[in-house]
Amino acid sequence: MKEDENQKENPLKGNRRHFFSQLSVGIGSLALGSLLIPDLFKGGNAQPLTQPLGIPHFAPKAKRVIYLFQAGAPSQFESFDYKPTLRKRMGEDLPESIRNGQRLTGMTAGQDKFPLMPAATNFKQYGDSGTWISDYFPHIAKIADDITVVRSMHTEAINHDPAITFFQTGSQISGRPSMGSWMSYGLGSENKNLPSFVVLTSRGKGNSQGLYSKLWSSGFLDSKHQGVLLRSGKDPVLYLNDPDGISRSDKRHLLNEVSQLNKLHHVETGDDEIESRIAQYEMAYRMQMSVPDVMDISKEPESIVKLYGEDCQVPGTYAANALQARRLAENGVRFIQLYHQGWDQHGNLPNAMAGQAKDVDQASAALVMDLKQRGMLEDTLVVWGGEFGRTNYCQGKFDPADFGRDHHPRAFSIWMAGGGIKPGLNYGKTDEFGYNVIENPVHVNDFHATLMHAMGLDHEQLTYKYQGRRFRLTDVAGNVVKDLLA
Amino acid sequence: MTDILKKRWVDYTILGLSVFLVFCLVFDAYIVLPNLVAWLGRWHPLVLHFPIVLLLIAAFLGLTGRPIPHRLLVIAVLSALLTAISGFFLGKEVAVKGNLLFWHQWMGGAVALMASVWYLLSDRGLDRTVYGKGLQVVLIVLVGFTGHYGGMVTHGEEFLALPTSKKQKEIPENPIVYTDVVARILDDKCVSCHNANKKKGELLMINMAELLEGGKSGHTIVPGEPLKSELIGRLHLPLENEEHMPPEGKTPLTDAEIKILERWVALGASDTLRFDQLPKSEPLVALIKGLMEPDPMSKWADLPFVADSTLQNLGSDYLTIERVASNSNALSVDVYLPPEYDAAAVVAMERIAGHIVELDLSGLPIGAAEMDFVAKCQNLEWLEIDKTPIGDSELEKLASLKNLKFLKTYATSITDKSIPVFENMKGLKNLYVYQTGISREALEKLQAKNPTLSVNYGIDPEIEAFFVAGDSVVVAK
Repeated sequence: MKEDENQKENPLKGNRRHFFSQLSVGIGSLALGSLLIPDLFKGGNAQPLTQPLGIPHFAPKAKRVIYLFQAGAPSQFESFDYKPTLRKRMGEDLPESIRNGQRLTGMTAGQDKFPLMPAATNFKQYGDSGTWISDYFPHIAKIADDITVVRSMHTEAINHDPAITFFQTGSQISGRPSMGSWMSYGLGSENKNLPSFVVLTSRGKGNSQGLYSKLWSSGFLDSKHQGVLLRSGKDPVLYLNDPDGISRSDKRHLLNEVSQLNKLHHVETGDDEIESRIAQYEMAYRMQMSVPDVMDISKEPESIVKLYGEDCQVPGTYAANALQARRLAENGVRFIQLYHQGWDQHGNLPNAMAGQAKDVDQASAALVMDLKQRGMLEDTLVVWGGEFGRTNYCQGKFDPADFGRDHHPRAFSIWMAGGGIKPGLNYGKTDEFGYNVIENPVHVNDFHATLMHAMGLDHEQLTYKYQGRRFRLTDVAGNVVKDLLA
Repeated sequence: MTDILKKRWVDYTILGLSVFLVFCLVFDAYIVLPNLVAWLGRWHPLVLHFPIVLLLIAAFLGLTGRPIPHRLLVIAVLSALLTAISGFFLGKEVAVKGNLLFWHQWMGGAVALMASVWYLLSDRGLDRTVYGKGLQVVLIVLVGFTGHYGGMVTHGEEFLALPTSKKQKEIPENPIVYTDVVARILDDKCVSCHNANKKKGELLMINMAELLEGGKSGHTIVPGEPLKSELIGRLHLPLENEEHMPPEGKTPLTDAEIKILERWVALGASDTLRFDQLPKSEPLVALIKGLMEPDPMSKWADLPFVADSTLQNLGSDYLTIERVASNSNALSVDVYLPPEYDAAAVVAMERIAGHIVELDLSGLPIGAAEMDFVAKCQNLEWLEIDKTPIGDSELEKLASLKNLKFLKTYATSITDKSIPVFENMKGLKNLYVYQTGISREALEKLQAKNPTLSVNYGIDPEIEAFFVAGDSVVVAK
């Protein structure tokens, strides 16, 4: 029919008759729809189905997160989970009733014995909370009453890459947005002159596993939510500084002209992406000033340098990054992700773990104390932990002076401080072998839900529709661990 | 049809049913119903609507002097009798009849019997006399009361109460877990069915003894064993399950409420346990605290509307204005140091001053002008003016802020002269004053006067010395 041809050519070419015939079908299907879905026409007067973006769903306890990620999985048996039974039954085979068919990695699955190995160091109780902490972490021991140790974490993955991807994105398979990106997407930026999600990396001498930018990728979210890796040294953000011979006023000129052209294009197409591109250029221009200012730790007084340890003056160390993290938090960065590599102690654990602990112990504790004296621990949540735990049995030759521990997903320990988390709490328990969680288990999804709750986000409400369905950081799982909240 | 209804057997049926009803009511205690008859009682909610409407229509016609169709009266009277009898059957399902049910039953019986009398009168042509009219008036009143009591039996006594903003009992400072928390949940979600009037499943949930007694399905609670407690099990069933409690259509318990009941049973279902006797790591502590704390947003609910466009106009790349939460008109403001700072940008926020509850001016070269503006933010609870050049004279301006809870003034040039200002801030909870001219003695005095205030004077020197001393990690060999 001619009408249809007209219509195909341009949707606006329909005539009156056509309009009414379409309308009747439309109204009919609306009526049918309202019968099938009673709430179809319900106004948003109750709880809106989708929350507006860039605003917390409810009043948050924490405004920002500093995540001290210990990549490679530090052993809970040499840090926060004290198991005297392992010393009593040292060298004995792990009872099958405890292992209960748990899969092992290829690295120890071939072992014919799983001899129990006690901690390579001693434990003591600290603070009013009586928190057990190993001698490897004497500085963290000093803040025992400020932190909450969760000894009942458990995860699904048993190898580094899927486990760390799971921890960062809520999925073992890469491609989903990182939790920092979700926070940026849900809460927007506190300071428009800095990215809302920043990543800092450092590396210890211990056995390392790779870190990939997919861990701080924004996945299917807008790329402005992607984590920005700040490098140590002269150029914290690559290509941010002007090339030689270009002055700041030249740059301003250039941006003005480019923005004029972009605006013309925007008028023509009405594409909102163009506006966000203009905004990104402007932010990069402001970051040329703000980033070097934030990254410059030369103005920090000597007392602060001593607090974090002399290392903090060496760019690229964990201590330097920890101090940097405080400065970024002060400047309104929502999510500051540190990674410290080198915690994968399959062998040489006593030596390597002591070295790793030395890298992070003082600076981690100093960060918490520094935040506290600045009143920032009230609204900044600090998390310390790895992607899974390590086995209670020895990997390789049984030698208490030089042994290793394999990967263990069923139970491990992390600690948190500040930002609406109860201080001085010892949460969750493992059995006497430290192998299984026996009280208050916290799954990675639960951890994510709790973190989002502290930030004022409902993990079930913050969604993004992609490829035909809505995604969440916690996907279809996760419960807020209310016990941890102050 | 007309002929059938005029036949004598209609009279006999009405007479027979009336006698049967009287018999039931009199010999209530001696009657045990066969299952099938008891099942007939379930039809009571269906048939009861007919006599209500038909009797009212008939009485209305009679009182306004219009003829009452014979058929209408016959059907009204028959349905009234059937309703009363089925109601009696249904009432037998309840072991002990409460007050409501007692009155409902007797008034319902009275309605049915009076309707029969009416039929008798009309048969004799006496229904237009004073007796007939009086009877009709009494019937209207009785139908109303019976229906109302019946409604209260099914929907709960509070059903028709005016919609007051259902205010639950406040939880006291150190609550008794059973009386103030558990019973509060049960009262709210369970007792509307498990009370003396309804006693569904032969279970009463009105006090500890009845809870321990249990109902038809056995142990409602087994102290210390949530897994064996019928109550906890039913709460955890999927919503679709027939056995799930509360049943479909009633408000289910929240996750937190279920957890509270579960932990309470696990801890031995004590009716004397107090909140402060719970160990710190007990999950109940957080759960009960969650119930006790009022919604932090409610105090800002009365703030007038502030438009997003206003926030956009006042904000800039260096001045972020955010709502504290979506649907809230309370604002949080962060100001960062721009290349060229001008106090005007801060002072321009004067029109939203009453909305600002959090304000961060740290690290800015602020002076008297900005502090005058801050003094206007009457709802301010959180203020950061650390690392600024302010001194005692500027700080004094804060004296008018009555709601301040959190104040960062470290690295400023304030001195002991500012102590009286802090003393007068009754609601102040956290104060940060390290790197200022304030002396330790003055702070100790302040602390003594205001014991709930937490004053932070920097890191404990002893701990700081430990950190400065350097590494003490002993590498195990």
